[in-house]
Amino acid sequence: MTIAPALIPKTQRFLELLYVLTARNLKVRYRGSLLGVYWSLLNPVIMTGVYTAVFGTTFAAYYDNSVVNYVLAAFTGLVVISFFNSTTAQALPSVVRNGTLLNKIRLPIGVLPLSMVMANVFQFMVGAFPLLAIITLWVSGNPFHVLLLLLPVLALVIVTTGVSYILSGLYVFFRDLPYLYELVTFILLISSPVFYPAEIVPPLVQPFLALNPLSPIIESIRKLALKGETDLNQIGAAWVGSLVIAGLGWVAFRSWYDQFMDLL
Amino acid sequence: MDVIRLEAVSLWRRTQEEFSYDLKTTIFALLDGRYRKPSKKQVLNQVDLRIQAGEKVGLIGANGSGKSTLLKLISGILKPTSGKVTVRGEIAPLIELGAGFDIDLSVQDNIVLYGVLLGFSGRTMTQRTPAILEFAELNEYSNMPVKALSSGMVARLGFAIATEVQPDILILDEVLSVGDERFKNKCQQRLERFWRANSTVLVVSHDLDYVRRSCDRVCWLDRGQVHFNGDPREGSTRYLDTVQPQGEVPR
Repeated sequence: MTIAPALIPKTQRFLELLYVLTARNLKVRYRGSLLGVYWSLLNPVIMTGVYTAVFGTTFAAYYDNSVVNYVLAAFTGLVVISFFNSTTAQALPSVVRNGTLLNKIRLPIGVLPLSMVMANVFQFMVGAFPLLAIITLWVSGNPFHVLLLLLPVLALVIVTTGVSYILSGLYVFFRDLPYLYELVTFILLISSPVFYPAEIVPPLVQPFLALNPLSPIIESIRKLALKGETDLNQIGAAWVGSLVIAGLGWVAFRSWYDQFMDLL
Repeated sequence: MDVIRLEAVSLWRRTQEEFSYDLKTTIFALLDGRYRKPSKKQVLNQVDLRIQAGEKVGLIGANGSGKSTLLKLISGILKPTSGKVTVRGEIAPLIELGAGFDIDLSVQDNIVLYGVLLGFSGRTMTQRTPAILEFAELNEYSNMPVKALSSGMVARLGFAIATEVQPDILILDEVLSVGDERFKNKCQQRLERFWRANSTVLVVSHDLDYVRRSCDRVCWLDRGQVHFNGDPREGSTRYLDTVQPQGEVPR
């Protein structure tokens, strides 16, 4: 037993909390087996298989008549979508689920959704990202493009964080949010050019698809990984969209913050 | 020197029972024009309280009188609607031990997790793990998940972690019944050491004997207001008088 308190300053505390909570999320998920990380790849891999089986031959025409190109395009898109969907869905209940704890100990509430995002970022960097890197090296043969991949990936993390903040905050007030959000994730999946070529969408509907913040992220990853092209404008667009949403998420979470404790 | 100072503190909280928690209901209510602003209830009313360094203060009062809420304000979990709360020093909350545990993680991991939640660094907690396991008498269990422990063991672990480092201000909310008799004595000894070492202690308890024996001062809350603040003997006697129904002879 020590007499002098060994408590730590605010910023360090936030980082320490983020670290232990992220580690907890991962440990609980994988129970000591690191192979579990690859379990998260199962979803995009199976989905790619299903889409290829159903649409592969029809849509191959849009992908230089190559089913392999279709497979790669579908996979890159699905990896992004599945990261976004599963992370936000897991972050959504993060504040409410820890309500009892928040009533006992003073915590920076924002660390809860963020630790869920971080656990998934780790999983992504260990699982899906190496695959994207291999595809990029194989197709473009340019190691520099692997580094550039980090730009749209970071934009993806930022937009996911912003949406996670909005959702976890809203869920405190509206406990029927998961049903509604399921619909939103479905719309996102359908409106992202994941398993179909963007060209088949009627011109009238096209502008609406541009509103999907994940589209520029998916498209720029595809260009880097599958075509060896660097479209800085598109990456820029991805970043602007992500930063706007992250800013919104942060402002919303901040403004609701003081009301949380009455409802937890 | 005041370590805790509450000046004209009032707190209004949203009443939960009326709140719909539901987007569907809220939207329909808005469409029907039935939407009302959620009603609020006053939980604390103009509370003034000053606690000096080293004082041991007992909080008493009926259920729902605002004792735990007051502790939450002091710990910084809640913010006052009006008034000012000033706290100097580090607070160790000992409110319902074990709230921070993750039952799927090992005892070792939980020591670090719980310690960091309480505000210590991960490194400090790793260093202290042996001492904590020792005090909680859980050495053989360090790699087992917490869900494999009995509830008494979990409480012991919680107590051992929360009291491993001596805080400036210790908050006890009815947690003195930890584990079996032998362990209870051990806890009591550790708490007494805090008592003697000039920690400021705030106790919420329904055990008036205990409050009378161990506190310098008693603060009686009644429906969110300070009803009495002073000598523990006088305070608890007066409190008992109001609680004892008229005409009934106490056994």
